[in-house]
Amino acid sequence: MKISRRNFLKGSATTLFLAGFNFPVLANTTKKKNLVIIMLRGGMDGLCAVPIIGDRNFEKRRKDLILDETIKLNSDFALHPKLKNFYNLWQNNLGAIVHATNIPYTKRSHFDGQNLMETGGHIPYAIKTGWLGRGMKLGELKGDGLALSLPMPLLLRGIPSNDNFYPSKKRLPRTELLQLLKSVYADKSEHDLANMMEIIANRSMMSSGGTSMSRKNSSLAYKAGLELKKINGPRVAVFEVDGFDTHAAQGGVNGSHSDSLIEMDSIFKSLEKGLGSEIENTLVLTLTEFGRTIEQNGGRGTEHGYGSAIFMAGGLLKKSQVYTDWPGLKKKELFEGRDLNSTIDARSVYASAMSSVFDIEFKRIQKEVFWGDKLQNLSDKLFKV
Amino acid sequence: MKNFYRKVAFGLGPKDKVPSDPLDWATSQLNKIPEFSWKGKILPEKELRNYYRDYVYGDRKVLRKKFKNDKDGYKREKNKLRHLTGQKFWWNLELCIRHSEALKSETPVLAKLWYFWGNHFAISEKDFLAQYTTGAYQREIIRANMNQTFEKMVQEATVAWTMIHHLDNNDNVGPKSQEAQWAKEKGRKVGVNENHARELLELHTVSPDCGYTQEDVIQMAYVMSGWRPNWGKKRLETGDVHFNGEYHQPGTKRILGKKYKSGRKSLSAVITDLVNHPSCREFIAMKLCRYFITDNPTKEMMEPIIRAWEKSDGFLPDVHKAAVEVAFNYSEKYNKFQNPENWLLIMSKMSDVELVPTPKLMDLYTLGLKPTHEQRSLEYLLRELGHHPYLAKQPNGWSDVSDDWMSPELLIRRLVYAKEAYYKKNRKSQTNEFYEEMVEKNYDNSSEILKTINQQVDLSNRHVMLFNLPETLKS
Repeated sequence: MKISRRNFLKGSATTLFLAGFNFPVLANTTKKKNLVIIMLRGGMDGLCAVPIIGDRNFEKRRKDLILDETIKLNSDFALHPKLKNFYNLWQNNLGAIVHATNIPYTKRSHFDGQNLMETGGHIPYAIKTGWLGRGMKLGELKGDGLALSLPMPLLLRGIPSNDNFYPSKKRLPRTELLQLLKSVYADKSEHDLANMMEIIANRSMMSSGGTSMSRKNSSLAYKAGLELKKINGPRVAVFEVDGFDTHAAQGGVNGSHSDSLIEMDSIFKSLEKGLGSEIENTLVLTLTEFGRTIEQNGGRGTEHGYGSAIFMAGGLLKKSQVYTDWPGLKKKELFEGRDLNSTIDARSVYASAMSSVFDIEFKRIQKEVFWGDKLQNLSDKLFKV
Repeated sequence: MKNFYRKVAFGLGPKDKVPSDPLDWATSQLNKIPEFSWKGKILPEKELRNYYRDYVYGDRKVLRKKFKNDKDGYKREKNKLRHLTGQKFWWNLELCIRHSEALKSETPVLAKLWYFWGNHFAISEKDFLAQYTTGAYQREIIRANMNQTFEKMVQEATVAWTMIHHLDNNDNVGPKSQEAQWAKEKGRKVGVNENHARELLELHTVSPDCGYTQEDVIQMAYVMSGWRPNWGKKRLETGDVHFNGEYHQPGTKRILGKKYKSGRKSLSAVITDLVNHPSCREFIAMKLCRYFITDNPTKEMMEPIIRAWEKSDGFLPDVHKAAVEVAFNYSEKYNKFQNPENWLLIMSKMSDVELVPTPKLMDLYTLGLKPTHEQRSLEYLLRELGHHPYLAKQPNGWSDVSDDWMSPELLIRRLVYAKEAYYKKNRKSQTNEFYEEMVEKNYDNSSEILKTINQQVDLSNRHVMLFNLPETLKS
């Protein structure tokens, strides 16, 4: 089993208090916990995904985009009716939402915004590593990252040896050839290459059993779930969903924004299926560059906005809730008179999540991953600590 | 020594003669910029930009309004518009032109350096630049200046339309400019956008090693304010780049301790000073060594390149020759991990696999139609290898450090596409002798390599082995 040094120290510190010092206790306190981030590219419309109930301002400003038959979450908020899998999680206390939140970026460029959502910084392109990679480095999680995409996402940069899985549509050469290459690498002291070939050879055995090799997020998520479930498998996984930039025909329940939300929803479902009971030790969070304008545009779409929402899933959540400091939707309450405001720095959520999942003190993450920026520790409120 | 052919070019093909003087073979390719070896159509950047204009205008100003209630109709018509403006074709054509320089030209060393500079002045994935103008920018701005000074290349790249658009300088407005005044009166807020200014300092010229401050970046942005596309109702943001004084920050600027008067001429004056800063030549020398020789260049490697730069005022043919000579001198000691695109070209060249569609096939393309599978094959292949040169994720381009290319999925792609390439070839030409000759021509330890790959009986497996041996992955 994989125990990072910090975990081990924490585990043994706990056990010192226990009269019967034994290994099962240690194993219990050092359970493998997983963090999954789903990047929603294009600007996820928090008000489409999690609309506010009974707000006149809202209904007036986007009257053609109001959804029918939403799912009521509480007295104030509803859920997009197509997010059935998420709702299922919610009903089992495995789903929650942070609303009116965003990274501290207000300029509405995808290009810059997506860079900042991954680096966690303030100035586009100034930082060359991702907040998740830096957090993993702090947690000494080398080799524990898994990206479900081809080039490694910036989000995971900052720690080497991450794995990635985005299956080729072609068949791998026979295992025998892979083993031969591996031994050539080893003979030439090419250790990195030999390690990679070891993973590849194992993977080839894994996939020869006729498992589907689709690149659909739902299929990737099932695979990732199976990997995360393994005690020596990865502890961090990163997904990408595109298509949230709906300037036109955003539509209602069957509009284009729904298509991307449904894809996100399918990741929740497949992850849960792959993880099985290990969903209990997993936390899934979404990440986007900004929300969208409240007012619909001439093409029945929305423009780039500011405040959005974060979907959260998994057994490490404290409870089902919409956690928010709601800023209101009256004109003067909006950001620059047009967008839902952000009252919670989304990075507070991510820093708290890393603190809870990686077992690192929040202050250390705040200082070493986010340069000491003013962030709130929300671990107590959102997660099982 | 033979790895030198792969290090600074793409190895020797079956028809290539073994050069009697390898260094001379390499450096003599760097004096002139020959015509492209691609025999098919080549479009000017301006024409390609017009296609981009038609796409942006058609989508933003026409389709979004027309199909506001019809998601499927919008998707369908947008797809038509994509094909009417060649969105899926042009970048494939550009890749044909690009790869022909590596595979068919007399100047593969120049080609490998072209790729270096294209990546140095990278246009990363933004809007649809990759599909329309990135390739042309790399031809007309980057390659065309490879027999000029580095300064000239920077001057032109900085105000190239693709670069200005890529780094948002059209959003860079002097806070005390006329435009800012007008905007304020209308209740709009405008101000500087530092992106382009920062990258000019950080990525294109002096690098952070020179010790500039955030204030220098802002001052640089002030200098750059006003350099923007000529806006028009129909052409939108695709007009030629010009200097518009109404957007320019008035007053004197101060960068790295030096003062610059306001106005059109200040940008060029700052660039002249930046390229002459010692940090600039050190940075470029380091990057050239990193590209050709090793992830961790030493001072000794960089030194001859810096000297050549100083002697020639950054005349690129001289700088290139110095870099190639250093690569030659260190070829015994160092092997450089080849990025996927260069690896693909090495395989293609050495084993004579035709990966580039023919000019005839490409010229058959008709606007409005979906390009065929074959016409799109290069773009698909590069994406599958995880390295499409026009789709870098960040303005710092694709990494040239091996760690960043070391992932299981990326190596899997090299295995499966080595196999694919083998089957693209006429089987009759693939004999034991063919591989023996190829290996002897291209590797110093040819008998060892043949012994290793001959453990596989099947020729296709030998092919996969050869192109995934450490000696090929790292050249």
